[in-house]
Amino acid sequence: MAVPFITVNQGRKPLACKPGSTLLDALVENGVVVDNPCNGKGTCGKCRVRVRSDTLTPATETEKRLVPRKELDSGVRLACQLVPTEDMSVELMQGERGHTVLTEGILPDFTHKVDIEKKTVTIEKPTLENQEPLADQIARQLGLDALSVVAVAHVLLQPGRYTAVMHEGQLIAVEPGDTTEALYGVAIDIGTTTVVCELVDMRSGDILADASQINAQKIYGLDVLTRITYELEHPENGRENLQKAIVDSLNEMIGSACAEAGVARSSVYEVTVGANCTMMHMLLGVDATPIGKAPFAPVFARAQDIPADAIGLDVAAGARLYCLPHVSAYIGADIVAGAYVCQLQHETGNVLFIDIGTNGEIVLANDGRLICCSCAAGPALEGMNISAGMRASEGAIEEIRVSEDGISCTVIGDGEPAGLCGSGILAVMRELLSTGIVRKNGAFAKIGAFPEDDYRTQLITVDEAGKRAFMLDGSPDRLLVTQGDVRQVQLAKGAILSGFMALLEKAGIAMKDLDKAIVAGQFGAHLSADSITGTGILPAELESRIEYAGNTSKTGAYMALMSSDAKRGMERLADEMDYVELNTTENYERLFSDCLIFPSHVDAEKRSGK
Amino acid sequence: MADKEELIGKLSTCVVEMEDEEVVDVANEYIGDGYPAYDGIMEGLVDGMNKASDLYDAEEYFVTDVLLCSDAMYNGLDVLRPHLDNADAGGNQKKVVIGVVEGDTHDIGKNLVKIMLETAGFDVRDLGRDVPLDDFVTTAKEIDADIIALSTLMTTTMAGMGTVVQKLKEAGIRESTKVIVGGSPISQKFANEIGADGYSANAVGAVKLAQELVGIEPDAER
Repeated sequence: MAVPFITVNQGRKPLACKPGSTLLDALVENGVVVDNPCNGKGTCGKCRVRVRSDTLTPATETEKRLVPRKELDSGVRLACQLVPTEDMSVELMQGERGHTVLTEGILPDFTHKVDIEKKTVTIEKPTLENQEPLADQIARQLGLDALSVVAVAHVLLQPGRYTAVMHEGQLIAVEPGDTTEALYGVAIDIGTTTVVCELVDMRSGDILADASQINAQKIYGLDVLTRITYELEHPENGRENLQKAIVDSLNEMIGSACAEAGVARSSVYEVTVGANCTMMHMLLGVDATPIGKAPFAPVFARAQDIPADAIGLDVAAGARLYCLPHVSAYIGADIVAGAYVCQLQHETGNVLFIDIGTNGEIVLANDGRLICCSCAAGPALEGMNISAGMRASEGAIEEIRVSEDGISCTVIGDGEPAGLCGSGILAVMRELLSTGIVRKNGAFAKIGAFPEDDYRTQLITVDEAGKRAFMLDGSPDRLLVTQGDVRQVQLAKGAILSGFMALLEKAGIAMKDLDKAIVAGQFGAHLSADSITGTGILPAELESRIEYAGNTSKTGAYMALMSSDAKRGMERLADEMDYVELNTTENYERLFSDCLIFPSHVDAEKRSGK
Repeated sequence: MADKEELIGKLSTCVVEMEDEEVVDVANEYIGDGYPAYDGIMEGLVDGMNKASDLYDAEEYFVTDVLLCSDAMYNGLDVLRPHLDNADAGGNQKKVVIGVVEGDTHDIGKNLVKIMLETAGFDVRDLGRDVPLDDFVTTAKEIDADIIALSTLMTTTMAGMGTVVQKLKEAGIRESTKVIVGGSPISQKFANEIGADGYSANAVGAVKLAQELVGIEPDAER
């Protein structure tokens, strides 16, 4: 069979497609970015491409299920379903739009005491009378009994002044001249979705530059489990590919931050990383597959302090890499960092810490005693598996108000709405509930529930099968919120709330005893308090006691970089946090089921004082 | 004394309306009046659960509603079942082995399917969650199951479903046992790939699928 060639976006250079492989595989292999949250399983329907009519093939059953009829007719297909047999020409549906990654956050007081130290030494010209080896001269001046010659192998030692770089009392490198003024580190948060790097002057603590990227591993799946599945399905090179993707992009980001600040990357001596347990395994090239299956035992959980070149980080020779500690497979270093940054162990009273994402992680601090759990919220709150869902990029509706006067949307980039991002989904859900368009059991109001001339009647469309949907832009053919979408949000909400309730029960605390709730994470920071309580993810009582902590994982990495006390503190905290496995919690199913109930229309009216 | 049809109607309504306490009173009254338990179960409780299934299918009811309906149904069953004649016990019920495959502990979806299969008259053996793959095969052999129903929420454990199909072949019972699969990462495409007999996106569809596979006319009992 001849090799089919694929022309993408009318580009000049068609891509070769291995016979028998899917269009998605061909695009990914050639480095073309296509959204594919389910990694080609044919369940998410996001890898849509438009195929030029003369090369169009009939739609598969899966495509008929996941792609609206109108789109199918206009040549839209799923890349994961298409197996090109002849040359074809396709257009990508998702332009890679600009994105902003949140980098601010809170920072508690801490002792500035870094683990990297620089001292100057002088090498004397040896004489026939004094043949003391050069390395021994350095060791003597540093007060060391011995040193590894590896640490000096990369410089040509001649008589003169040098700077010794020490890590926890060991020599790790020698630089010519006096470079004690230049000591840099990089603090990194590796999120499943986004990666953030900060270049830090370790002497002052100043952040000199930062860089962020979408996690380069996304071509292997958007969420943690899909990437683990990729690793499972590619035993020969999966682990290597995942590691290479993230290490390459870290090197790129470190390079751009260094360039921006005018700092040589060879003067970066420590890199610290906060991440979830899976991302950390993949960064270190360690088998992550046990995390993906019960009983969910990771290969490692403790903090790692290793040479940075062990994973191929392109920084100073001899530099260190410190990875923050985890509690368990699903309470990772990102959450330990969050708990530490928010100083939960020192809080009096009852504080709830919550990081909302595909997995929702929850920590409950009860007078300094910490218990935590993780719940599978699914990707709905991040805009996936929602019919009009999209990433938080240009065109995404991030806030919406529905009233008698109509619909008013806030759209990222102020252009035409193209879909709903996570905060938009939650906002629209809140509005559907408060207007009574969706009832508290999650079902759309019955047909005829509102008078014919009521504004709500105008916003609901009913299809041939009698299924109702909410029209975001007044047209039944464009952006819709379907009953299925509501159910996805409901599942996510139920999962998070049930985790929270399970912890309260475990600690013997009632809702009214809660002093505050801290919402962490880049995603959570975009969710308004009234959306969070209006959809019942957190109870309404808490609305005025919700605080936002920002990217606490990155802040934790920053603190680890700047303070060995913080490193030890986080290691202790990880040991002390008690993990609660929800799935083995008695009656969890009932709790989950109860937590699926939305706040009712009546509650919402009471709250807003109508 | 209340009319039989009226009480049966009430039993059905109690299930649909999730009245898990009232259903017990109605069932007691029904038995107290000397009406046959079998009719109360089939035309009352099961009918109500079927209506709940229809509402679920129409996206009116969700997980919570179905679980609450099933509470009412099971409470009613507890009252009526001891009064069943032996002749009513069935005997030629089709048998299903159900479970969440090894490596996954999420079982709410599986439990919904189980409730609906039981309502539809299947004899269901529930192996629970994180079930070793061999257990599906040995249990199917042991009880001479007609169907094995496999569920998972996690993409990482999907491959286990294919392994079960293989193991059934090795055990020589693949021909006599139908395999149906479900769970959020599962698709028709995946079911085809592993050689399963069917896939359903939801619990109601799973029952219809099971009925088709064992040659029961769907809705025959309604």
